[in-house]
Amino acid sequence: MPPMSKENGSKKDLAGEISAISAQLGLQAAYNRLLRAEVAFKLRKPSLAIYDHAFHFIGGAQKYGLTLIAALRDRFDITILANKEVSHQDFLSWYNLDLAGCRVKVIKLPYFEERRAFHLDPALIPGEAENPFHIISKESGRYDIFVNNSMNEMVYPLSNISVLICHFPERRPRSYFYADRYSYLIYNSRYTALWVEKKWKILPHQHIYPPVDMEAADGGVPKRKAILSVARFEPEGTKRQLEMIEVFLRLNQKWPGLVKGWSFILAGGSGPDNPYLAKLEKIIRGHPGQNIELKVNLPVEELKLLYQQSTLFWHLCGLDHEDPSETEHFGMTTVEAMQNRLVPLVYDGGGLPEIVDHGMNGFRVSSKAELLKYTMTLLGDQALIERLGASAQKKAQIYTRAKFEARVRDFFDDVLKTYVSGRETRPFE
Amino acid sequence: MEEDRVREIQRLKEELEKKRGEVEDIRVLVNQQIDRPFLAEVKEYSEKELETYIREQISTVENCVDPRPDKQSVASHRKIIGRPIVFFKRLLLKMTGFHVHLLLDKQTQFNRESAALNQALVIRLGQIKERMRQIQVKISTCEEGLVVLEKKLEELSSSQERDKGDIADRKPPAQD
Repeated sequence: MPPMSKENGSKKDLAGEISAISAQLGLQAAYNRLLRAEVAFKLRKPSLAIYDHAFHFIGGAQKYGLTLIAALRDRFDITILANKEVSHQDFLSWYNLDLAGCRVKVIKLPYFEERRAFHLDPALIPGEAENPFHIISKESGRYDIFVNNSMNEMVYPLSNISVLICHFPERRPRSYFYADRYSYLIYNSRYTALWVEKKWKILPHQHIYPPVDMEAADGGVPKRKAILSVARFEPEGTKRQLEMIEVFLRLNQKWPGLVKGWSFILAGGSGPDNPYLAKLEKIIRGHPGQNIELKVNLPVEELKLLYQQSTLFWHLCGLDHEDPSETEHFGMTTVEAMQNRLVPLVYDGGGLPEIVDHGMNGFRVSSKAELLKYTMTLLGDQALIERLGASAQKKAQIYTRAKFEARVRDFFDDVLKTYVSGRETRPFE
Repeated sequence: MEEDRVREIQRLKEELEKKRGEVEDIRVLVNQQIDRPFLAEVKEYSEKELETYIREQISTVENCVDPRPDKQSVASHRKIIGRPIVFFKRLLLKMTGFHVHLLLDKQTQFNRESAALNQALVIRLGQIKERMRQIQVKISTCEEGLVVLEKKLEELSSSQERDKGDIADRKPPAQD
């Protein structure tokens, strides 16, 4: 349906057209028509709202969404939709993103407020309960473009153009499943795309890798003999820190000469009273003098320094897990390590094979034995470390923030062109 | 003319905005159904998903083991004519109760046995899984041991090669 042109029709025609659309396709379609006309006639800047039910706490997916709007600030009138109190200051301190000029609108969801839930988990909503996200669906219809960044396919998009950013399809289609109602689906890795097809039976549209900006400002920090692991200390142990400690202990035990002077540092975030973290602490205490260190909830500057100083990077998330949701869907920390010239030794599954090319810029392993094998190979060959580290740093250039922003702008420029031209943008308009 | 059109767009927008604000139901806004039923495609489920599915299904089955109607299962939401309807239905239930129970007793027994069997199979599955996990740990330890041995063997052969070279170097010069 083309937009109302400047030439054709009178006031009466316009009212009639809107009334006909409303009767046939619903109130929202008629409203959308007027929103589109405003933009086509250049009466205002196009509006864009981005929603995430987890904007109120720090996370990789949230960084993705907010970096995306930082790239679009000059093109759109932007509103950030959150479900809990959050401020520009939080975004600045968590992600170093200055989003001044973007409105923050907090829409509380009574279902979760009544339960005093901090984490608003859509998976916990029983099929027979009313959809608590309909409030957001309704809000989505007030903008030209609605971007759902929350892996929450329970929000029914009403805007003219809707974009679902899928970091991984967690749920299978069941009650309140609307992922296929969005105009576009952006995915963060080919691994995610594969699972979108498998689980949701839909073809995602646009691949945009996450922005990774852990590059050192200068390369002046000397490397030391350190193996680094950066991953959240998940209470379920899905990041496999325990298994990595076991491998390092075995190295110490069987090959003390080779590992002499090397340390293993496990950095990552954790909530309070984490039984998994307590277990790791106990194991480390039980093996004194083995050069294993835990660094919990480090400030970003300290983490950056650790990356700059370390030589090898271990990441076993996904090992012995059959469920795709328990593997790394992309692998941000692996890229961060590669940007700092660390040689990655990572689990051969999930999104990690897209990042690490075996034998070219690191090694992919499928067992603890393989991790042991390739680590031993590297520890005895400094030239190989240098070569793979340099190659890893080069590969990591694909994932910089600048590249991400360029891709985002290209995509949204195309979307906007389609919107203004009047071509079809979504099923019910 | 242009200004008129702009004003008209804004007037209509305000009007629709007001109407839109009054509608709560998304279906009304889009003039269509938005929800669809989805079948569980169990054969595609991962182990973790299957576990959740089995747990939910067992609980559902256990809740409907006994299909025999009782007094409470007959009720009506109608205010006035509800009471006589309930009275007659309960009377009918009382009259046919003996025969209905005769048929459904056996069904109930079958359901109960089936539910118990399901439960037992799930427990058995858990035991097998645990045994597999233990075997996996043993295999993993053996693999690591093999890697270490392989590396030691490599070192031994290279030191042997070095020794051979040293011996060759130390060979006395041939006598004239």
